[in-house]
Amino acid sequence: MRFNHNNRKRYIASITDQFVKGKIDRRTFMRTAAKLGLGVGALGAASMLPPGGRGGFISEARAQDIVQDPDMMAWLKEAAKPFAGQTVRLATESTPPSNAINSALKPFFEEATGIKVEIEVLPLEQVLQKLTLDVASGLGTYDLYYIDQSWMASFAGDVIDPREKYESSSDLAMPNYNMDDFLPALVDGISMYDGIMVGVPYDIPIFITMYRKDIYEELGLSVPTTMEQYLANAQAIQAAKGPDIYGTTGQMKSGHYSLECDWTCWLWAHGGSIFGPDGKFTGNDEAGLAAMDYWNKLKENMPEGVTTWTWDGQGQSVLQGIAGQALSWGEFFPWWDDPEASKVSGLMEAAVPPAPTTALRTETGFGEIPGVGHQGGSSLAVSKYSKNQDAAWLFAQWATSMDTQVYITTLGGGTGPTRESVYDDERVKANNRVGAGTTRHLDVVRETIASHMGSEPDLPEWAELSNDTIPVELGRYFAGDYDSPKEVMDAIAKKVDDIVSG
Amino acid sequence: MNQRTETGWKPKPQHPSRDAAVLRAPKFMLSDHALPWLTPLLAMLLVFALYPFFYNIWLSMHEFVPRKRALEWVGGDNWVKLFADTRMWGALGVTLLYTAFCLIVQLVLGMGIALLLDSDDPGFGFLRGVLTLTLVIPPAITGMMFLLLEDAQFGVFTYALQQLGILGTSPILGNSSTALLGVMIADIWQWTPFMVLIFLAGLRAMPTEPFESALIDGASSWQIFRRLTLPMLGKVIAIAVLIRGIDLFRTFDYVYVMTSGGPGTATYTLSLYAWQQTFSFIKWGYGATISLFSLLVILIVANVFVALTKLRW
Repeated sequence: MRFNHNNRKRYIASITDQFVKGKIDRRTFMRTAAKLGLGVGALGAASMLPPGGRGGFISEARAQDIVQDPDMMAWLKEAAKPFAGQTVRLATESTPPSNAINSALKPFFEEATGIKVEIEVLPLEQVLQKLTLDVASGLGTYDLYYIDQSWMASFAGDVIDPREKYESSSDLAMPNYNMDDFLPALVDGISMYDGIMVGVPYDIPIFITMYRKDIYEELGLSVPTTMEQYLANAQAIQAAKGPDIYGTTGQMKSGHYSLECDWTCWLWAHGGSIFGPDGKFTGNDEAGLAAMDYWNKLKENMPEGVTTWTWDGQGQSVLQGIAGQALSWGEFFPWWDDPEASKVSGLMEAAVPPAPTTALRTETGFGEIPGVGHQGGSSLAVSKYSKNQDAAWLFAQWATSMDTQVYITTLGGGTGPTRESVYDDERVKANNRVGAGTTRHLDVVRETIASHMGSEPDLPEWAELSNDTIPVELGRYFAGDYDSPKEVMDAIAKKVDDIVSG
Repeated sequence: MNQRTETGWKPKPQHPSRDAAVLRAPKFMLSDHALPWLTPLLAMLLVFALYPFFYNIWLSMHEFVPRKRALEWVGGDNWVKLFADTRMWGALGVTLLYTAFCLIVQLVLGMGIALLLDSDDPGFGFLRGVLTLTLVIPPAITGMMFLLLEDAQFGVFTYALQQLGILGTSPILGNSSTALLGVMIADIWQWTPFMVLIFLAGLRAMPTEPFESALIDGASSWQIFRRLTLPMLGKVIAIAVLIRGIDLFRTFDYVYVMTSGGPGTATYTLSLYAWQQTFSFIKWGYGATISLFSLLVILIVANVFVALTKLRW
């Protein structure tokens, strides 16, 4: 399309008008805008107009005319020529990077490469099912796998090691991709299993402390640096503000992975571990029981509904202003800061997790790394059953490139980037202010990854243990089916050891 | 106009192209034999019923081995495991309780509402139409709706029950003793109208003479209901119970959406357990075994019921 200046402006006004009135969809609008050299920033113009056509999560990129790195896009265009027309498929959890790519960034990749991208955004447990069925059948329905860190051992044999791919296919190796830029702790925690790099670090939700600044100031509380202080703060808030505002909140739905995530945090914080070096369950030892005792006290200061909530309910409880603090996923933070969605916008602050009550355990089994900052990261892997492996590999590199991660973060994703350089990028730092898509919690996320991160064990049975065995029995405990923490932990120990020993 | 032939008169073809097509059709398609007409149905049965059934039996004698990414022969091991699996028996107990309770409530409520709506007065037709609305909602959406209604913090239903003093502070779906009831309420809300519609169809098809005679003889409303309505509606009730009973036994959606089987295993139904074993843990053989066991239970119970109620098909 060639336009002179006036025609161009008139055309921009026209398509913006159509977008705002809902006559054209976001994708058509962005494609047209991109051809006019506006990129995603064009959405900003639309969003400043009266309401009508605006939607989606993009809210912070409006002031910037972001255009993807021209060198990277030019290289992609050239490298992807043999694969134009192919389709790559990915089943992923609804996480900020996947949502950002699916709703806003994907068209740029498709435009440059001619490769079509189909992304299925699903609840985590359904992603696991899709993946498992895909590898079991070997059909290669999905070209890319979203692999949660707890599934690494299960799928390590079904993917292509990205390092090997990068070295062996030099014509498909993105210039300046820089594998060394990924945070080393993440590479170990969410990408490596038994010497195999399962996938490229893709996202890193991690537990950080988040608290209501206004309540803390009103009650004279200080940011908790110890677990005892964290509990005391919860009790103080509950005493002063309850029952309208609870001391803290949780994600404790029976039989759900989220319950297991909360448990590991308290377990590790008390010097415990899930497995000992001999591969036996150790959650029922002295440290494990101390963690349960602590958790019970903490639960007295949570809303009654926590036992029916996963992370969604937990996030909502803070969003609705009924919880004073949470030690939970950092990716909640930008959501809670969104004035249009949240009752606590600008009231939340972030801090690194409190120190453990005793030294973190170092002698564990199956690669478990205790740390109060429980991480739930995931990696993006190319399926070895894929019929479009090269096209998928190009997409994986683009999706995890520095430039795309900056987009994901600045577009309001809020997840912690997995690359060191993204934290230092000026565009990311520019969003360090109150509002949707804020990045003002990212320094805390970065420090937590470096110094407080805890990673679950890697074993093929872990998906079953963490998604069923442990959270089902813990659910029974909180529903009153067990008389004591010792009883439930012993029951879990028996079941876990039976499953692990086969 | 007809034409003369050597063997006699035959009709003149009115549509030459159609007749040509008939002549080109395979001979068996023109025969009076039943087989050609049954072939499509048999093909459907073979593809969608018989093959999956026999494949399921075959699968129950194998198990998927993740490390090898292959199925391995295990013989009767899955059946031995099934009968020793306490969680399966727990799930069966939950399923039977769920089925029985929902069925009784839906039966009683359905009959009551049907009797109330069995009228030709103005407005009753509209009310009968409104009843079908719940049936068009996907069960998963109904589950989500009741999940929110029963939420401990934000749920309207919870709030109302607490204000009435019926419910304490414990969340409905987070408590072992109330969670199953919380799920059953969603099922009852959605499917009672189905019973109402079936009973209404039966009620409105009944002859009026016996009722007029009973009224002339001075029978009370209760006597008319017990001695006329119920016996005459017997077959309809039996059909409704059979259809809903089988459907309830397979319950999955509400439990999956509302509790995921929890708290603990308090709402774990047999279908949910089979699904989890099959799709979450890729124990295809064991999942197939649980499914076959479910089928056996349904077949036995349904046939006993049919025999007891003397239903004829």
